[in-house]
Amino acid sequence: MDFSVLLVEDDEHIRQALGLALGDEGFAVTDAVSGEAALELLSADGFDVVLLDLMLPGVDGLEVCRTLRAGGDLPIIIVTARTDAADVIAGLEAGADDYVTKPLVASVLAARIRALLRRTGTGRDDEVLRRGDLDIRPDVGTVHRDGVQVHLTSTEFRLLVELAAAAGRIVTREQLLRRVWGYDYFGDTRLLDVHIRRLRRKVERDPDDPTLIVTVRGSGYRMDR
Amino acid sequence: MARFSLRWRVAVALGFGSLLLTSALALVVWNLTTGYMLRQREQSAVRQAEVNARLVDESLHSGSNGLDELLTGLTTGPDSTILLLRPGEVLTSGREVDVDALPRPVLDVGGAPSRGRLVVGGVSVLVVTLPIPSAQGVYVELVPLVQLERTFGFLNAALVMGVLCSGLLGLGLGSWAGRRALRPLSELTRAASRIAGGDLRARLPEQTDPDLAHLATTFNATAAALQRRVLKDARFAGDVSHELRSPLTTMVNAAEVLHRRRAEVPGTAGKALDLLTSEVDRFARMVVDLLEISRDQQVDDAPPEPIDLAALVRNVVSARPGPSVPVEVTASPQVLGDRRRLDRVVSNLLDNAERHAGGAVRVAVLSRKGLAGDGLARLEVDDAGPGVPADLRDRIFDRFDRGARAGSRGADTGSGLGLALVAQHVQRHRGAAWVEGRPGGGARFVVEIPETTA
Repeated sequence: MDFSVLLVEDDEHIRQALGLALGDEGFAVTDAVSGEAALELLSADGFDVVLLDLMLPGVDGLEVCRTLRAGGDLPIIIVTARTDAADVIAGLEAGADDYVTKPLVASVLAARIRALLRRTGTGRDDEVLRRGDLDIRPDVGTVHRDGVQVHLTSTEFRLLVELAAAAGRIVTREQLLRRVWGYDYFGDTRLLDVHIRRLRRKVERDPDDPTLIVTVRGSGYRMDR
Repeated sequence: MARFSLRWRVAVALGFGSLLLTSALALVVWNLTTGYMLRQREQSAVRQAEVNARLVDESLHSGSNGLDELLTGLTTGPDSTILLLRPGEVLTSGREVDVDALPRPVLDVGGAPSRGRLVVGGVSVLVVTLPIPSAQGVYVELVPLVQLERTFGFLNAALVMGVLCSGLLGLGLGSWAGRRALRPLSELTRAASRIAGGDLRARLPEQTDPDLAHLATTFNATAAALQRRVLKDARFAGDVSHELRSPLTTMVNAAEVLHRRRAEVPGTAGKALDLLTSEVDRFARMVVDLLEISRDQQVDDAPPEPIDLAALVRNVVSARPGPSVPVEVTASPQVLGDRRRLDRVVSNLLDNAERHAGGAVRVAVLSRKGLAGDGLARLEVDDAGPGVPADLRDRIFDRFDRGARAGSRGADTGSGLGLALVAQHVQRHRGAAWVEGRPGGGARFVVEIPETTA
C-alpha cells in the first residue's frame, strides 16, 4: 500500500522527522509549510489523506479544513499540540475525520491513516438498507432521502452504515470507535460525539430532536428499522 | 452535641434578657398592686368593723335585747360573718362558719384588737378582732376576700402571660436580628464556597453598609486577583504544553527512524543510540503525563455521564496487547464521571502492574455499601509481584515517587506519574484509591467511587 499523504506543518523539524518516519511506514509524503501552500497543492488531485496542523501562519488549519470539506471528502487527520476540548471539537466540526495530539509517533499515525482509508466491509452487494426515509447502499456508498442524494464523507458514511446494520440493536461507543476508526482506543469520545452530531445534521429532519439516530444514555446509539 | 450557632445564641440571650426584665417589672407591679389593694380592703373592713363593734358595745351597754337583730342588721359585705363572743356564749350572724375550726387566738376573749388573714372553709378571709369592753367579749368579723383574690388571680395570669410573651418576642426578635446581621456572612460563605468549588467568577454584591463594604471590596479584589492568576497559569500551561510537544514530536519520530535503522549503527554508537531512543520514549511519556497532571486543575471536562464501570474496565482490558486478564464482575455499578479519566485510571493501574509485578493477575469490579449506606463501585487490580511495603503504601501515589524501586530504575519504569494521575482522577470522581496486600502475596490496588442511581 502506497498511500499519498500531504503533511501540512509549519515546524520544519517536525515536518522532516514525521516525513522520514512516515516514509519508513510506506507512505509517499508531500510537505506543505502553510495553509496557502496546502490549498494550492490540494487543488491538484492525487492525495489520499491530509495531515493538518491546526496552528498555521496565514490561513489556519481550521480554515483549510473547512475549505477542503466544502470541496470534497478527502480524509483529514488533525495533528495538534493543543489538547483543549474546544480546539479538538472545533477541528472535528470543521470537517476533520480524526485527530491526533502531539507528540505522536509515526507508527500510530500510520495505523490511523490505514484505518481511515480502509474500504467499508459491511453489507452485501446490491443490498439497500432502508431506515426511516433513508435509502443506504453500502456497496456504492450512497445515501438517498426521498430520492435526493445526501452527501456524506466516507467516515460519516461508515458510521451510518454501522448504525444501520445493527438493525435496531444498541451499538456502544466503543464498538463504533473500533469499527469506524478501526483501532482500539478508548476514553476520548469527543471524536464520536462530533461525528454523530455532523451525521445528524445531514440525515435528520430536525437535528436537535433526532428520530433516526437515537442516543441511548450511558451506553451508545441505536438506529431503528 | 454541637454548640449553638451564633444566631441562636443571640436569640436566646435576647429572649432571656427580655424575660428577666419583664419578670422584674411584673414582680414590682404585682407587689405594689396587691399590697395596695389589700391595704385598702383591710382599712375599709377595719373601719366598718370598728363602727359595728361600737354599735354592739353601745347596745350591750344599754342592755338592749335586740342583739340578734342588731347583729343581722349591721352593715357588712354580702358574705361576711360576724361573731360575738362573750364568756360562755357565741353569737354568729351572716355566712355560716364552723366556730371550732377557727384558731384559738382569734377567739381569745381577752385579746387586744387585731387583724389578720385566714383560710376558713376553703375561703380566704380577713379577720378583724375587736374587744367589746362592756361585756368582756370580742367582736370578730370575717370578711371574705373572694372578689379580691379573683382580681389577683387575673392580674397574676396577665402578668405571667405578659412575661412569657415578652420572652418569646425577645427570642424571635433575637433570631430575626441574628439572621439579619449574619446575612452578609452567609452571602460571603456562599461566594467563598463557589470559589472553592472552582467558580472563580463568584463575587459579593456591593454593600451599602459601611461595616460590610470593606469586607466585600476586599473579598472581591482577592477573588479577581485569584481569577487573573489562574487564567494566567492556564495560559502559561497551554504555552508550555505547545512548546514542549513540538520538539518532542520531532524527537520521537526521529528516534523511531533511528530505531528502525538500528542495524546500520554498530558498536558503541549503536548502544548510545539504544539509550537515546529508549530515553526519548520515556521522556515523551513523562512530559505528556506531567502536562496532563498539571493542566488537570483548569480543564473543563465534558459533563459527567453515567458509566457502566464493568463495561468500561472490560473495554480497557480487551484493548490492551498481550495476554488478557479475566475481568471478574460481581456487580455492574454505574458511576457518574468522565470516560477518558476512568479509562486512564484503569490503564494506568494495569500499566503499573505490568511494569512492577509482571502484570495483573486479577481484575475485579464489585459493588459494596459505604458507611453512610450509599453504594460504592469498587475496582480491584491484583498482581502477584513483591507487593508494596506498608510504609510506602501512601507514598506511591505521590508524584515521581517510585516506592521501593527508587534508585534502581530499570529500562522501563514509566513516568513516575501514573499512580499520581490515578489518585487525581479518582479524587475528581469523589472516590479514593489505595493499595493493600493481596491475600496470598502481591499487591492489590483498590479504587472506590460513589455509585450513581441515575
